[in-house]
Amino acid sequence: MKDLINRFFTRNRSKEQAKQRLKFLLIHDQVDLTPAQLNAMKEEIIEVIQKYVEIDINASEIKLERADDTIALVSSVPVQRVVARPALG
Amino acid sequence: MSECIVITSGKGGVGKTTTAANLGVALALQEKRVAVIDADIGLRNLDVILGLENRIVYDLVHVIEGQCKLKQALIRDKRVEGLYLLPAAQTRDKNAVTPQQMRELINDLKETFDFILVDCPAGIEQGFKNAVAGADRALIVTTPEVSAIRDADRIIGMVEAAELPEPELIINRYRANMVARGDMMNREDILEILAIPLVGVIPDHEDIIISANRGVPVAFDEESRLGEAYRRIGRRVAGELDIPLVGDETDEGFWNTIKRWMGLAPVQEVAS
Repeated sequence: MKDLINRFFTRNRSKEQAKQRLKFLLIHDQVDLTPAQLNAMKEEIIEVIQKYVEIDINASEIKLERADDTIALVSSVPVQRVVARPALG
Repeated sequence: MSECIVITSGKGGVGKTTTAANLGVALALQEKRVAVIDADIGLRNLDVILGLENRIVYDLVHVIEGQCKLKQALIRDKRVEGLYLLPAAQTRDKNAVTPQQMRELINDLKETFDFILVDCPAGIEQGFKNAVAGADRALIVTTPEVSAIRDADRIIGMVEAAELPEPELIINRYRANMVARGDMMNREDILEILAIPLVGVIPDHEDIIISANRGVPVAFDEESRLGEAYRRIGRRVAGELDIPLVGDETDEGFWNTIKRWMGLAPVQEVAS
């Protein structure tokens, strides 16, 4: 409830935009990949995943996130069906 | 024991020089012996902020090139005991000095002074390298803006690469009214992003322009809240970490009290 009201009060305020833009900027300053390279990487990752499972591409998200000094590649890829199991071993 | 502190930011125009001048005054008011060095060779301004521009005879480059003694170039601020300025050269450029020469100069100053404050030029080039060369500690000045914080992040990395301890943050030009309505990042937002310790928050206040017009740093003004902010930063920098930041203990105002009571106000902000 408190969060909801807070969100109502701070909704669309410019500081949230500032914060989001900054987080994005700092990740990209640090990783030093162009947006095009980043997109290519995402596409290749998706391709690899698709070899094994059927996924909902529209609901998939792969992004870089920063926590303190480390950058993590965070992905959320909904799996719809297993296509083929990789051979064991 | 004496300590050399570099005041830096990456981005220009966020208040490095003003911070260096006022921190110098604040420390001198605590009866410390303080030398402030203008490391912005070619674009000197610390002398103007301190109101000492008419007394310059020799500068940092003269000292380094052996054209005068260190003592001859140090300008004594007559308003407070123990405060001295070493001005930058105005007609030379950053390549007139090397990091090794800066280290030697600072070592010489350490024989006489408790604190040596180095006002770093904007940028990440030679001037930055000279300014951090002899430093034991770095203070990063930023404002609550995307561009300034981005550059501060970059500079934090460079300070760590220069093998200085974790730098400390001063947030300048903080506007409590804008923070309260969500149009300016608050200190928690900034600390979340930069993740270094906070030593001070300086409210945005017109006194700073007036003091620059007069050449009298606001830290001398006992009546000024802004002066109080700098004096407290001075105490915190000198090691009294329990000194609250300006605004921490101020009245939060009727509406904020009501909002907080209703569970609406997120955190108490620094009043301007």
